[in-house]
Amino acid sequence: MSRKNFLTDLKAYGISNLFAVGIIGINKYFIVDTHANADDIFVFSEFIITPMLMGIISAWFWRYSDLSSRGLTGKSFLNGCITIVLASGFLGEGFICLIIVSPLLFGSIIVGAFIGRAMFRRNNNTLNISIVGLTLVVFAADSLSEHHYENMVSDTIIVNAPPQQVWKNVVAFKRIKEKNKFWLFKIGMPSPVESTVEGYYLGAKRKCIFSNGYTFDEKIVTYDENKNLTFAITNQPRDPEIMGHIDIEQGQFLLKDNGDGTTTLVGNSRYKLYVFPTWYYDTWAQSITRNVHLRVMEHIKELSEVK
Amino acid sequence: MFTFVTQYLSFLKLVPTMSWLFDGLLKLWAYFAKPVLLDWMDEIEAEVLQWQYTTSGIHKYGGMQFNYQGKEIGHIHSNGLLDMLLSRSVKAQLMQDGRISGHHTFKNTGWISFYICDIKEKDYALKLLRKGYERLVK
Repeated sequence: MSRKNFLTDLKAYGISNLFAVGIIGINKYFIVDTHANADDIFVFSEFIITPMLMGIISAWFWRYSDLSSRGLTGKSFLNGCITIVLASGFLGEGFICLIIVSPLLFGSIIVGAFIGRAMFRRNNNTLNISIVGLTLVVFAADSLSEHHYENMVSDTIIVNAPPQQVWKNVVAFKRIKEKNKFWLFKIGMPSPVESTVEGYYLGAKRKCIFSNGYTFDEKIVTYDENKNLTFAITNQPRDPEIMGHIDIEQGQFLLKDNGDGTTTLVGNSRYKLYVFPTWYYDTWAQSITRNVHLRVMEHIKELSEVK
Repeated sequence: MFTFVTQYLSFLKLVPTMSWLFDGLLKLWAYFAKPVLLDWMDEIEAEVLQWQYTTSGIHKYGGMQFNYQGKEIGHIHSNGLLDMLLSRSVKAQLMQDGRISGHHTFKNTGWISFYICDIKEKDYALKLLRKGYERLVK
């Protein structure tokens, strides 16, 4: 690689990433939300529009380099890697978070680079300014819009035991020794391992302990024996993997006596999401919550079915 | 994967930027799994742009689009899938040869799909694009 090309690449990576850091910083002042800590919110524009603009900026530096599609894709991938390293360093994002965000970042940077290449090949300044102007308008509109999203995930299993036998394992359960099946748990995402409770009554404090030692503090808000256990999450760990991105607000186990010695066990979790677009992040949130449910509920099933 | 997305998740193309993002990820897949595909796409683009009054750009659902005087000749998604419009008679004739298939979304039209998997198929894709170009020139 010649010195000139090296400097061009350095400018392309450096300026596009500086732009991203700057615009995300500025954006924090304009995000409107009812959430107590608006700094935790990351919007569509930051994950899609900003990386696309990064791609366009880098393509501007490479406009005379006559890069092939292979070359442009490879350099954009490297640009995305630099962004991920910076996000890890400056925003304190965890490893799993970075895995989750990486398809959006890489895809958007690559798209931006190819849009930029098409723009600068045509060399139509009016069109180029219009495209960049339009993306900035979308960015501003998105940042100034209110962002609020809540959802609930529900899962059901059949336990071959009556509700009276299942109930005690729902309220608290011994350590899960079963190996993790979900790929994110296998690569290091904390998974639930144990639940403890100070007593079997309404208002009792409950703890859900995760594999890395983090604990969710809970309080039983509905105690309808053999039927309904609902608990509010009173304190959750400040884990870099979830910090500020999702708040689990309430968990619930519903038991239905099937009348044949079996119980239908329903697990519900209600959460609030602080990362957008939800069509992307809620897919992950649902999948992770579902796997947390299944790990716990299958353990409850196993404990309850022991003769 | 592409077939699954176009069959079951096609509604996602209504989400702004979603189809471009998907195509960007296809490029990344091609970069690692089959980088020569990206080179073939460049070669096809270079050839098509030598034909009179042609331009290239980004397709609305992602990929590289070729136009003749503003009208679409066809487009190539970044997994090497060429989609283009031919007359129904030409489509029927080509389908008898078994090298092309009906478009992955628009059935019962002149639209066709053709996967570029090797260098011979790259050359065949160029022939198809030429047919599409000549159809528009007439």
